[in-house]
Amino acid sequence: MTAAAPAQPAAASSQEERILDAALVCIARWGLTKTGLDDVAREAGVSRATVYRAFPGGKDAVTEAVARTELARFFAAVGGQLAAADTLEDALTSGITEAGARIASHGALRTVVSFEPEEILPLLAFGRMDQVLAVCTAFAAPHLARFLDQATAAQVAEWAARVVVSYSSWPSVDVDLTDERSVRRLVRQLFLPALATSGSTP
Amino acid sequence: MRTRILEAAYACVARWGLAKTSVEDAAREAGVSRATVYRHFPGGKDELLAGVVDFEVLRFFGRLAEAVQGSTNLIEVTEASLEFAHRSLEEHVVLHQVLRSEPQLLVPRITDATNRLHPVVRQFLEPYVAAEAASGRLRPGLDPRMAADYVARMALSYANAAGRWDLGDREQVRTLARLVLGGVVTVPSSR
Repeated sequence: MTAAAPAQPAAASSQEERILDAALVCIARWGLTKTGLDDVAREAGVSRATVYRAFPGGKDAVTEAVARTELARFFAAVGGQLAAADTLEDALTSGITEAGARIASHGALRTVVSFEPEEILPLLAFGRMDQVLAVCTAFAAPHLARFLDQATAAQVAEWAARVVVSYSSWPSVDVDLTDERSVRRLVRQLFLPALATSGSTP
Repeated sequence: MRTRILEAAYACVARWGLAKTSVEDAAREAGVSRATVYRHFPGGKDELLAGVVDFEVLRFFGRLAEAVQGSTNLIEVTEASLEFAHRSLEEHVVLHQVLRSEPQLLVPRITDATNRLHPVVRQFLEPYVAAEAASGRLRPGLDPRMAADYVARMALSYANAAGRWDLGDREQVRTLARLVLGGVVTVPSSR
């Protein structure tokens, strides 16, 4: 069955994956600025030329591909949780927990935020943050629309994204986004009563 | 003297941006010597620019506190804060100019200043939360300190980026405040 499949694209994509995984390890260890293509090649166990063949754009192309792949992984994981939920409470709880836990445990992200905030903070300010929120909302709203009307689903998706960004960026003694019980309490206390209220108004 | 230097440095930033503003420019603008600037900002340019951003952020919150003085409850103070923040950020020419040309230099400094302000905003909101608790409108089981912290986070988030909301539209601000604070206080169903 698999014999008929062309070997080349599969090999290339696994090669790319290996390079991107290596880049992620390097970024977690040294940060974005100090990570060079030599480091990535060494970590991946390939030659510099191989890295360039896979990513002709060099370091920028690798960085961009890492960001794209990591975002896709992130949304796939959160989307899986949202799709599996049977109630609004479960959707919000599992979605926020998955997002919070992934952000907290992401080594490369943590290194960049701690040591090179200028590389990432502009994304979370003013107009750029509007774009981030729009992407998160467009992604999560359809899932929430199973439990809410369309307009409210979009509002709540954006609200939840803000909660994730805020509690992930500034530590809190009250809320731990990596702890499902803590998130469920937050959802029960802050989200659900508000939705019961707004749902009852004409 | 510190204020005079900061105001001078701010004028330079408005004119030339963050990267091109030097200690010398600020000193000349303030009409003082370089040595005087260094006495107040031993870290030189870096400390001076951090001081300018802090100064502007503090000034913003000072005006905000004045603008919301007449508010009598948590929903009102949140609405007033969002409307004020929207108006004044929208009109802040220097902010937008520097944000466009030097986001990497500006944003980490604003974030830094805002992080330090988050507890200040929370403390500012605490009496409003306490008043809601006293009048029985705080949702049962909610820790007042956690509630104030949460409202501060959301206020900062919506002020930073309005997202899908138009904070220049009073009706939308009302709807937003009732949604995001609906779990904090019981909201009267009509005005």
